[in-house]
Amino acid sequence: MALYVLYLDLLVTHQFEGRRWTLPAQVYAAPLELYAGLALSPAELEGELQRLGYRRTTALDRPGTYRVQGERIDVALRPVRFADETRTATLLSVVAGPKGLESLRDGAGQEVPVLRLEPLLIGSIFPIHGEDRIVVTPEEVPALLPAALKAVEDRKFDSHHGVDPVAMLRALWVNVRARQIEQGGSTLTQQLVRSYFLSTRQTFTRKIREAIMAMALDAHFTKADLMNAYINEIFLGQDGDRAIHGFGLASQFYFGKPLAELDLSEVALLVAVVRGPSYYDPRRHAERSRARRDLVLKVMAEQGIVKAEDATAAARRPLGVTSRPAGAYYPAYLDFVRRTLRRDYHDQDLTEAGLKIYTSLDPRAQEQAEHALERELARLDRQHKRPEPLEGALVVTTPQSGDVIAIVGGRNVGYDGFDRALDAHRSMGSLVKPFIYLTALESGRYNAATVVQDAPIDVKLANGRHWQPENFTHEVYGPVPVVRALAESLNLATVGVGLDVGLPKVADTLQRFGLPQPPPQVPAMLLGAVEVTPLEAAQLFNGLASGGFRNPLRAVRAVISADGKPLKAFPLEVSQVASPEAVYQLDRMLVEVMERGTGRGARAVLPAGLTVAGKSGTSSDFRDSWFAGFSGSHLAVVWVGYDSDEPTGFTGSAGALPVWAHIMAGLNTSSWEAPMPEGLAEMHIEFPTGLRVAPGCSDDMVAVVVPGDASIPAKPGCSFPDNGNPVTTILNRAEQWLRGLAH
Amino acid sequence: MISSVRISRSSSALVSAWLIAACLSGCVVSRSEPTLPPGAPPPGETPPGSTPPAPGPGEEQPPPSERPPAQGPRQFRLGPAATALVTQAHAQAGSGEFGQAAATLERALRIEPDNPLLWIELGRVRLGEGNAAQADAMGRKAVALATGDPSAQAAGWRLIADSLRGRGRDPEAAEAEQRAGALSPH
Repeated sequence: MALYVLYLDLLVTHQFEGRRWTLPAQVYAAPLELYAGLALSPAELEGELQRLGYRRTTALDRPGTYRVQGERIDVALRPVRFADETRTATLLSVVAGPKGLESLRDGAGQEVPVLRLEPLLIGSIFPIHGEDRIVVTPEEVPALLPAALKAVEDRKFDSHHGVDPVAMLRALWVNVRARQIEQGGSTLTQQLVRSYFLSTRQTFTRKIREAIMAMALDAHFTKADLMNAYINEIFLGQDGDRAIHGFGLASQFYFGKPLAELDLSEVALLVAVVRGPSYYDPRRHAERSRARRDLVLKVMAEQGIVKAEDATAAARRPLGVTSRPAGAYYPAYLDFVRRTLRRDYHDQDLTEAGLKIYTSLDPRAQEQAEHALERELARLDRQHKRPEPLEGALVVTTPQSGDVIAIVGGRNVGYDGFDRALDAHRSMGSLVKPFIYLTALESGRYNAATVVQDAPIDVKLANGRHWQPENFTHEVYGPVPVVRALAESLNLATVGVGLDVGLPKVADTLQRFGLPQPPPQVPAMLLGAVEVTPLEAAQLFNGLASGGFRNPLRAVRAVISADGKPLKAFPLEVSQVASPEAVYQLDRMLVEVMERGTGRGARAVLPAGLTVAGKSGTSSDFRDSWFAGFSGSHLAVVWVGYDSDEPTGFTGSAGALPVWAHIMAGLNTSSWEAPMPEGLAEMHIEFPTGLRVAPGCSDDMVAVVVPGDASIPAKPGCSFPDNGNPVTTILNRAEQWLRGLAH
Repeated sequence: MISSVRISRSSSALVSAWLIAACLSGCVVSRSEPTLPPGAPPPGETPPGSTPPAPGPGEEQPPPSERPPAQGPRQFRLGPAATALVTQAHAQAGSGEFGQAAATLERALRIEPDNPLLWIELGRVRLGEGNAAQADAMGRKAVALATGDPSAQAAGWRLIADSLRGRGRDPEAAEAEQRAGALSPH
């Protein structure tokens, strides 16, 4: 027996001495940059502050609070560590008008040109066994918390030797009477031992072992040490696979703010949860946990920890838990983060070393995207009435920087399962067409006005079979200009162009823009028999949205170590993959897709006057519904289909386009208006025929951009004031414009 | 300052190395002073990608889908937020913290992604850390974005020239330098 005690004593002191909690890497969203001119309404700014757990007060008494005074919002910013900078707590005054932020000033009244809010904690990379925690130092713990814990769980904590025999006997008596174990009677030290060293199975021998170990701990360590260990160790909630350990994380998990900022009612709620994180789950059992919180408050008042009137006031407060648990909000996005980092880090580094990971996630865009997908899929399900629910996935980027700002991997956004955005390899369908026409433009033999034949095609394949593609409408359109063939997504015309420029050239274009695998070089490739994930499709279209420059899409910006050293940066990189002239000509045609082609359905949803460019995609037999498109500042790619690969019965325009349009409408985005490269000219052609027309000469015309030296046949009987040279047209227009200014 | 820029023997390279140093210490900030040809709109009214004013009198209004070509003269400048970040990046690059400087410039680029001046700044930092390939690509990106602003385009071509020179591709560098000179003689 003595040897056994000695063994336990050694075990406890050794393990506890060398204790180091494994610290899952913490993942942060992109910080919001504030500057005068930013289009952010006062309500939106307040929303951002609340998302970060800032509390509205009148006194502005401590970091993490703000007050609203008319158009001015004063914020007491918390200290924060960014990947590249550490900032102490500071005061900020923001004047926000209806058009956006008007001015930013610091506490001394000095103008602040630009300042970022702290980044939102969006999750952590916890190990397989699921323990997640944020470790806090004693300085970060509100004094009320240890006092409350002692009052409720272990009143003799400061004086006992690790166990409280009276409490144990009382518990034993209750348990014997009930013939099963119902009451704990454990000291905080025993609870710590149980959580730290033992399984949760309750047996009498284990109880004895626990008591001996608790006494050993108590003999070797100070009460303050033990209290701090308890605060960081104890289990306080479950979120799917993720076990919430310690009050630091629990504070973020339930209230979305740091432990130090909790008020009396919030501290009391966490102390209430200790007794049964599942039974007293404040999100699932609000009434039950509220009753226990109020009991905790009553005990605190009885023990003289707080004044009775404060306890009564706190008991009147709502529970104050956030509607969604902090962290693990965005499984699909975190999935991408994890995969990015796996190239450079071992799993253990990520789950144990306390790294801080800074990402590009934009929480507002992410939430918009999630809602748009869920709402539209529900609507489509109602329309189509199939036994299997539709699924969808999407990716949103800011094209010039290559930042991935939102990823949704399926309609059940909180579910950490199959991530369609990264893992669903689906036929890209007509999303391939822009790359065929880009290849054609680059060849110099085609422009937007070139008339191509939409005519039956019969290709004899290597296996002796014949490939005879058809248009979506099963009709044949005859001679059409390229701009119309793309806008209306005509299969026959496109296949004709693709065969003419050559499969290898088209395949090369796709690979230049970022397709990871060489596509199968069969004619069906020209109708999108190329499997891509939504993320890969976003990479391809990102190059079109950024003028022919490819940026590797990235979620992670930087990683820093637990002690603040920069470990790894993922800097912005660009490479030119196509001529800006060809991409501009193509992008202008993609604008026409939205104006009068398969994307025009988005008009009704998008803000008036917003210029966007895009392309629908429908794979064979309607198995995949895609839409990829961009504005001046955002790109979104949406996929809709069934996991079983069953046909959906609808096109890209009917399935993915509404989702895309709602996402774009919800983002604060700007028009696509890239400058026209030199050497190109804008002119008008007749949409059905491709013949050049003067404004007013046709009621079905479209503006296209072609090389300045292109000669486009004119519509007979259409008079041109300037002899029809497009370059002259532009010079004339410029001259008139300058004259207009002179007046 | 940027000490790791490869300086070759030719005197033009020395001149351009000096220009890099001069640029890093304030060419962007000095651009915030409007230096516009008479008759052109004030710079604040021609942000990147904006369209020129409506067509002159007597010309027909274009249909809604048509946007007049953005070929009017432009002069890029930085807003106050980007200016502050560029100043900070200069200080960081000046003390050899290229990674920090690049991160700061990326913040500015997230605010003004279409501003060629910022791409040139970032390219200069990349060149400073010896990444000539990225400097070259960013120069080309800047030239594309700077359509209509000869002086910004020239700055882009000078960045390309320096990055080519840094990789020993002197003939191409001279060609790029020439394009810069044709656009905007110093």
